[in-house]
Amino acid sequence: MGDFFSNLSLGFGVALTLQNLGLAFLGCLVGTLIGVLPGVGPIATIAMLLPITFGLDPTGALIMLAGIYYGAQYGGSTTAILVNIPGEATSVVTALDGHQMARQGRAGVALGIAAIGSFFAGTVATLVIAALGTPLTKLALIFGPTEYFSLMVMGLVFAVVLARGSILKAIAMILVGVLLSTVGTDLETGEERMTFGLPFLADGIDFAVLAMGIFGIAEIMRNLDHTETRDVVRQAIGRLLPNRDDFRQSYKPVLRGTLIGATLGILPGNGAVLGPFAAYTLEKKLAKDPSRFGRGAIEGVAGPESANNAGAQTSFIPLLTLGIPPNAVMALMVGAMTIHGIIPGPQVMTKNPTLFWGMIASMWVGNLMLLIINLPLVGMWVRLLKVPYRLLFPAILMFCCIGIYSINSLPTDVMFIGFFGLVGYMLIKFGFEPAPMLLGFVLGRLMEENLRRALIISRGSLETFIERPVSAGLLAVAVILLVIALLPSIRKGRDEVFTE
Amino acid sequence: MSTLHEGPRPAEPGGPVRAPQNVAGGLVLVALAALALWLTRDLDQGTLNAMGPAMLPRWLAIAVGLSGLALLAFAFIKHGEALERWNLRGPVFVIGGILAFALTIRPFAMGGFTTPGLGMLFAGPLAIIIGGYATPEARLRDLVILSLSLTPFCMVLFGDLLNLPIPVFPQALTGLFPPDWSQKGVLRATAAILVVAAVIVFLATRRWRRGPIDVADHSGRI
Repeated sequence: MGDFFSNLSLGFGVALTLQNLGLAFLGCLVGTLIGVLPGVGPIATIAMLLPITFGLDPTGALIMLAGIYYGAQYGGSTTAILVNIPGEATSVVTALDGHQMARQGRAGVALGIAAIGSFFAGTVATLVIAALGTPLTKLALIFGPTEYFSLMVMGLVFAVVLARGSILKAIAMILVGVLLSTVGTDLETGEERMTFGLPFLADGIDFAVLAMGIFGIAEIMRNLDHTETRDVVRQAIGRLLPNRDDFRQSYKPVLRGTLIGATLGILPGNGAVLGPFAAYTLEKKLAKDPSRFGRGAIEGVAGPESANNAGAQTSFIPLLTLGIPPNAVMALMVGAMTIHGIIPGPQVMTKNPTLFWGMIASMWVGNLMLLIINLPLVGMWVRLLKVPYRLLFPAILMFCCIGIYSINSLPTDVMFIGFFGLVGYMLIKFGFEPAPMLLGFVLGRLMEENLRRALIISRGSLETFIERPVSAGLLAVAVILLVIALLPSIRKGRDEVFTE
Repeated sequence: MSTLHEGPRPAEPGGPVRAPQNVAGGLVLVALAALALWLTRDLDQGTLNAMGPAMLPRWLAIAVGLSGLALLAFAFIKHGEALERWNLRGPVFVIGGILAFALTIRPFAMGGFTTPGLGMLFAGPLAIIIGGYATPEARLRDLVILSLSLTPFCMVLFGDLLNLPIPVFPQALTGLFPPDWSQKGVLRATAAILVVAAVIVFLATRRWRRGPIDVADHSGRI
């Protein structure tokens, strides 16, 4: 316990310096600014803004990036409430009741409770990370390559189970993602694989390029297809602070949402995505009058928004302690860390304690900033949302080009976001979900490395994965999950959760 | 792209195919698997004890191919979604804008031909204007004003404030300014000129707005 407080105070010592406070503020502000734009989710936002952190010291850069992440997340909720266009999967649920509240002239209250719920969830999640950081890091140190491989398999199975739509398609996407990650020079033998002899493919496909293509450019193409009217709330925003009644109705959903979100967020394989859905379903089940949901129930905003933010934050845990990015956003964080010479994993905490705890403390600071800067700025976001898409998307396009060019100074990277944009657009048209593919790509290289090592240690025997107890346990969980997901009755329930 | 389908399709698929979207998806997966197998044909697979470079890609490709086949098979058994209509305008112009940016941002050699490196000053507006035509609602005036105001903003932000190594303007441009001006000075002056140009275009073409075609569409279609 003493450790817990001394670590946190070390962290706050770092996070509360004037420079880092400024960076957290700037990150939150810019993140929200870009995240508010319809059709731009956190992944595209971070990929776009990655270069602006290059000139900073590692701690400052990560603090700013974390700020950008929360800002983008919160910006997405703002768009969901005000325009009914969820920027990404996790704010889909917020749009259901949030937008209805906005239409009833209670947009302010919806935004307010979203911000307050998020802040509370963020505070709890920060404490959870601080508490779990040390024990999980110790656990990670006893993990060998065999266990790492099995853990990642389990993560990918999670991603399959959590993906929307057909399970077969999700599996195919994961496999394609892992396959894409094998493009480039083989680390062990130095032979080039599937590079078409092109020199810029020798290092493999850059993750930021793939992510920006699939989530930035493809999204633009998809939005251009759908000529749906953007229905920006015309009613007054109303007061921002929820009143006593609102608080009474929403404090329990906030607590439950935080608990659900924080727990699911820790799971490898993008568990955070499930948080808002689970929280919404739970609130609806617990409500005395479920028919209110979908018509502007404040619980339908408070629960999922808290779950969303708690999950967004606890998803840092697998990255910081095990070095395994659980989702695409965290994979971008890996990219950012590597640029600054930090290899994510259990050793970060021991080698770089100021960075580790400073970042954790800055998460809380970032959440506080969001609460402070967003509520007064709502008017500005509304105005931004009224800019027609025909003017927004060329601007987004140019920012994408400049952002991706600045990372490696390679014109081929810019061309590749166009190529992957087209690929992503085709995937959407064929009913494939791109998120599992990105996760497969993220974990692919780590998996191959660990698989090789594990097999060398076991002298080529695949049985090692079921002989070692921890690994066997992880694989068993994966198999059970997959079987459960394939059971017809569960599948129906799963479809219901996602269509709500 | 043999699977591109343009134009309207019958709503209810006739014939043995019950899920056209899955047929297309399955074919793409099988084609991808075949491509990967072909590309790794010369690589050594190794043994489990000492995996070669082709081990993982090859087995993954086989697995991708099998999922593709399964998807194809199910398409004849289970009803599924129809293929959506493809709109080529969006992708063509968006990719056109991206390519224009990539080719002009700095000298790029293609075969025997090298494109001139024009920097952000030209690459940015090109991306905005070409990309902007991806929607049928595009209006040249708005796109010109947008590019004249966003480009200087990005030039100052990325080139001046953040010092990123991104080419901002062609070298020839420095010749137009007094020789004792620094790069930053030229950058700021150029940015200022662009902003002034944006204001001039905005004011000079204001009347266009009153034209019958140009009813400002603030319903914000997306």
